[in-house]
Amino acid sequence: MQITLTPHDTLAVLAITGSIDSLNADELTQRFAQAMDQGHVRLVADFSLVNYTSSAGLRSLLGAVKSCRLAGGDLRVAAVQPQVNRVLEIAGFTSILNIYPDVRHAVESFTEAA
Amino acid sequence: MTRAAPTQGPAVTLVIGSGSVKCAAAIGVVKALADAGIGIERVVGCSGGALFAAAVAMGFDAATMADITVRTWTREVTSKRNHLGFLRLLAPRLFGFRPDSFGLRDDAPMLAAFRAVFGQQRVEDTPIPLHITATDFLNGELVDITRGDLVEAIRASASLPLAFAPVKLGDRLLIDGYMSDPLPVSVAMKNGGRVIVAVGFESPYQNNIRSAGRFAAQLSAILANNLLKSRLAFQSAAHHSEMILILPEFKQRVGLFDTAKVPYLIEEGEQAALQQLPYLHALLDAERERREPVAA
Repeated sequence: MQITLTPHDTLAVLAITGSIDSLNADELTQRFAQAMDQGHVRLVADFSLVNYTSSAGLRSLLGAVKSCRLAGGDLRVAAVQPQVNRVLEIAGFTSILNIYPDVRHAVESFTEAA
Repeated sequence: MTRAAPTQGPAVTLVIGSGSVKCAAAIGVVKALADAGIGIERVVGCSGGALFAAAVAMGFDAATMADITVRTWTREVTSKRNHLGFLRLLAPRLFGFRPDSFGLRDDAPMLAAFRAVFGQQRVEDTPIPLHITATDFLNGELVDITRGDLVEAIRASASLPLAFAPVKLGDRLLIDGYMSDPLPVSVAMKNGGRVIVAVGFESPYQNNIRSAGRFAAQLSAILANNLLKSRLAFQSAAHHSEMILILPEFKQRVGLFDTAKVPYLIEEGEQAALQQLPYLHALLDAERERREPVAA
């Protein structure tokens, strides 16, 4: 898994590549935490290159969403691939996550809300 | 039959959810795991999945399990009407409606089919530890059956509401396991399962609803699918280790008794499992290193 953080004006985009599972979920959790430590409570997770997520990956996402929302922001997910969306959907996560077709829409959603 | 020593080498806890004949996909999952040298240290089954979980716990190979499916999951096994049940439905006061015996189908052929496969086998004596789940009719609780007659346990787990009468086991009246959790990962978690492979199925929605039966089936599917998702959401958040979901997607429509599609179902299950094997191997390697740290 690779993670690239790109700060924007009022938010940050984390582009994630590869599989999110129990072998690397801690790393993702740390990167979310680092972004928040830098003052980014509005995060977009670019999932366009994520090909798998396990329950460990779901827990990492859940923790980050809770932290962001507690701080007044949100973690929004963009460009989820069908096989990953199926896991999110069957585990009920699509009912609590804000998911957008691409990064642009996810970024704009924060602007619209502001 | 006595229970063997715990599995040596990499092993997972297998959970097979409800899904009628589609649960035959679990045969393909078991085959993929066996071919990859991955053992099963515990198996949990619910409703249709209980039949396959029992077969796995007995150590049957894929060919035997496929044969069992074709022999036991037939329309003939479940199509015999319970005439008294229909009368009790139409005139409950006249014919004495009783919740503990109400069902529109006669379960005798099903019981005979299960008995022909499993004989007098007991749940606690299977070579691989087995858990069969059902639902307490009086309070909705999930019931984890780990002792007693195996056929009765499977029958209780597969007590499709309205079709088959509840089963009295001990002081509980039991109905289909899917009513409390269609994919009971919680049982694996409570029993210490770390790496859990969960094979689950969504209930199909009806295309044409032109009868009360299909109307009821649609309501049941809506409830079951929402329950599946809410339980999985909680279990995903709560599990201390890893749960690998295998959710076979069938391009062909599979009917309740489509045993002709068993080879197709097995193939789809095997392919879905094969996609998870690279990660599963890496995960089990990491688990082994965690348990047996290399000496400095």
